[in-house]
Amino acid sequence: MLEIKNLKASINSKQILKGLNLTIKPGEVHAIMGPNGSGKSTLANVLSGKNGYQVSGELNFKGESLNEIPVEVRAQKGLFLAFQYPLEIPGVNTNNFLKTSLNSVRKARGEKELDTLAFLKIVKEKSSELGIDEKFLSRQLNVGFSGGEKKKNEILQMKILDPYFSILDETDSGLDIDALKIVAKGVNSSRSKKKSFLVITHYQRLLDYIKPDFVHVLSDGKIIKTGFGDLAVELEKTGYKKLN
Amino acid sequence: MENLEINFKKIDQIKKITPKEKNFRTKNLELFKSAGFPSKRLEDWKFTDFRKIVDNNFNKLDTEKVTSDLQKTELIKNFEHNFIILANGSLHSSNFDYEEKNKIKINSYDNNIDYEPSDNSLICLNHALAENGYSLEIEENYKFKKTLVIYNFFTKDLKNKILNNKNKIKVKKNSEVHIIEYTINESKFKFINNVYEYLILEKNSKLKNLYIQNNKSEGFFHKYSKSELFDNSEYVNLIFSSGLRFNKLDIESDLNGKNCSCNILSALFLNKNEHQEIKTRINHLVPDCKSYQKVKKVLDSESKGIFQGKVYVKDVAQKTNAYQLSKALLLHENAEFNSKPELEIYADDVKCSHGSTSGSIDEDSLHYLMTRGLSRKESTKLLIKGFLNDVVEFIKNPKIKEFVENKLEEQVNGNK
Repeated sequence: MLEIKNLKASINSKQILKGLNLTIKPGEVHAIMGPNGSGKSTLANVLSGKNGYQVSGELNFKGESLNEIPVEVRAQKGLFLAFQYPLEIPGVNTNNFLKTSLNSVRKARGEKELDTLAFLKIVKEKSSELGIDEKFLSRQLNVGFSGGEKKKNEILQMKILDPYFSILDETDSGLDIDALKIVAKGVNSSRSKKKSFLVITHYQRLLDYIKPDFVHVLSDGKIIKTGFGDLAVELEKTGYKKLN
Repeated sequence: MENLEINFKKIDQIKKITPKEKNFRTKNLELFKSAGFPSKRLEDWKFTDFRKIVDNNFNKLDTEKVTSDLQKTELIKNFEHNFIILANGSLHSSNFDYEEKNKIKINSYDNNIDYEPSDNSLICLNHALAENGYSLEIEENYKFKKTLVIYNFFTKDLKNKILNNKNKIKVKKNSEVHIIEYTINESKFKFINNVYEYLILEKNSKLKNLYIQNNKSEGFFHKYSKSELFDNSEYVNLIFSSGLRFNKLDIESDLNGKNCSCNILSALFLNKNEHQEIKTRINHLVPDCKSYQKVKKVLDSESKGIFQGKVYVKDVAQKTNAYQLSKALLLHENAEFNSKPELEIYADDVKCSHGSTSGSIDEDSLHYLMTRGLSRKESTKLLIKGFLNDVVEFIKNPKIKEFVENKLEEQVNGNK
């Protein structure tokens, strides 16, 4: 699904990622943990194709190089990023935006664009599946949403766009236990042989609900340790310092 | 003024002119001739050097009458409405089939208003030469059942013309009308349209005015709009006049009666080389009145947007509530936005606020939208629409709102 080889990335001449290697196969859930400033969010941004980074190394997604592929085409190919801080977009209705978004993804996949009725049916289905109140979809995109609502909205977007590969950038931070369960449900209900996830988190707590196949520790721009679910439990006890 | 010669004989040619009127016109023409077109040396024209704009765009100008007829008039089909048709500013025809009889008076412009002298030479020019326009009066206790659309057609043969028109709308006690002024341009040549508008809102009356145009225009538009508001009246002015090469709206509103409210809102998208200025002066002359101004401009390559907004609060006008905000979204490094908010307050128990911001499209917001599969162009458009949206939200009628949204979309897409 995703193959990262010797990924280096810097911003404003400051190197953040210093040769990162990671392979994620279809159906796998990987978790990346690491202290503040280790490069977790940079990795998410670089994978999404965000401007402003000097990037070297290889990024392959479903057998294709991503290096020259712009942000929206990555999304159309099935790569999704749930933002750590989803942006507030005033004046843009959430439902209309989601419809435009879904249709541009469908168009790229060679699928028929959906009309409003068909779209709303999908939204209803997905939001009730996650237990999300669809009322907030008639509001402006993320404007005045609480932290939890924003994160839930990210997961709902993920469900609607139905990507092959999703990156969750600290989606759990700032969530209460109920919201956390919704996020976990969003991921768990999508897990399949064809779908993969990269869950970036600070805490082991989320991994009680989303069981990862692998846990990696990112430190100073590199993966310094890889293990299974129990690695997260261990880290929770000992902290990151011991690993360095 | 090498490019414009106006002989005083022009005034003699006006039919049925009284000595008083002749004197008024002559005096104003003298004022215009000595001042010339306004230049940036004048504070009110600081950001709009109209003299230079005229010099750069016209070798020759004339004020001769235009005789053309309207070819065909295609009316809006999106919603039912009454209409007035103007051809180059003159009253052509009208239709009030949706309304009760004897409630509405529509006539060609009448010249029975005593105007104060003006230091805006374009107003002087208008006072000297205006012969056309309309006068609309709505009788007491009458609420329009349908919107009134004023079709403002400009014909093909306006090359180098200056049109001077005067319009008057009087909404009498307890009456209400919603107007859409819809400009349609056929002229491929440059011309100047210079309008003087006079609005009277009597007690408990409501006037909603929405400006929008059908297509791009080579016209240079200047309008001075004076409104007088009396007790409990409500004036709403919504400006969506994008697509004009040059437009200066000079809006002055006198709040003469208690509890009246004056609302000026604008959402504009300016393309290459377009220049639009909104200048306001809201005079709070009595206590307990409200004014609300919100101007939003999206400025693309080499366009220039200006907002000069002034709120004047007289010493007796206690409990005034005045709000003013202008915001610009700049899409290009050569786009320019000038804003001059001014408050002049002589009362001590008032609530007045003003603000002005400008900035470019937020890269992080763009990135967010693009990660959802939208191209940079689509995402930019969405952010522009979002930026202008809160002004569009002021339109309550869903069909009219949709109509305006579609027009705005055409402008943002650059189709028209």
